[in-house]
Amino acid sequence: MSTIKVPKDREVPFGAVTPAPVTSQELFITSNWRIVRPVLDREKCALCFQCVMSCPDSCWSFNEEKEEVEWNWRYCKGCQICINECAAEALSAVPELDFPDGVVRLEKPF
Amino acid sequence: MAKVTEITVWTRGVVMDKEARDIANGFGKGAKMEGKFIQAFDNYEDLPDRVLVTTRKYVRISDEEIEMKYVYTNDHPDVVVVVEPTIVKGINVLRGMPEGGLLIINTNRPIDYMLQFIPNRDRLGAVATVDADSISGIRTVDFSGSEGGVDASGLGAGISAPILGAMSKVTGMVEKDSLAKVVSDVAAMERGYNEVTIQKFRKPRASYFWGG
Repeated sequence: MSTIKVPKDREVPFGAVTPAPVTSQELFITSNWRIVRPVLDREKCALCFQCVMSCPDSCWSFNEEKEEVEWNWRYCKGCQICINECAAEALSAVPELDFPDGVVRLEKPF
Repeated sequence: MAKVTEITVWTRGVVMDKEARDIANGFGKGAKMEGKFIQAFDNYEDLPDRVLVTTRKYVRISDEEIEMKYVYTNDHPDVVVVVEPTIVKGINVLRGMPEGGLLIINTNRPIDYMLQFIPNRDRLGAVATVDADSISGIRTVDFSGSEGGVDASGLGAGISAPILGAMSKVTGMVEKDSLAKVVSDVAAMERGYNEVTIQKFRKPRASYFWGG
């Protein structure tokens, strides 16, 4: 069995679309869909990972070094599923306009 | 060709889609009753059927027949209406606006607080805010029937009525009495007309006269 020799300048990544696996796509930032943002009270958090499992966009993840869940502000759409699912009631919905930053500003909607 | 005033309405998909459509259609209808020529249409390129996505609706008003055809976006909006205030944080709503344009926001926050989210606020001629959420009390009015194909809930039932009243007072393009024949919630429209707050900026070269 022989493999085809592809010149170095003609190589494309597998799938030809994106360098996989990646955890986030730079082309599809959805932070400006958000009206409210989930704010975590770390003292109440019991690390039950309900937010990690229930988030449709995988915006909650576990940071093993800090031993706490992290929120990805670039892709959270503010659907509030995590706030409803949180068993320890550590998450609360705060209006996005209370914060000066935390939203990627786009020229146009996509 | 006479001056065509372009109005762009920014809103969120699905949850506040009908409100913005009522603002576009209602303002156009009111202007048409006063003998003006109008074009009003929904978004063309925004894919609005996603919850909370930012979408646009458009109105064009002119004293003569509008010869602009086949272009479905307002590239240089004179008036920008923001139905949900968080949009100013994530979108450059003033893109293409000429010097001295008008921005109307539905919010209960102070005008100075909202202006900090708009980096290109220098080109604004005036900013107006109206607290439509508390005036009407109804934030979302669903399309009745098949996605607005058959709409029995009436034009201007939710937060669109106070915003229409505020637009009437600040732009001065449509009389309040004409809008009263169009919208279903006339009391909320009158309250929006009376309770709008406006802040004007000095623009020596601009040709606009925003009232209020």
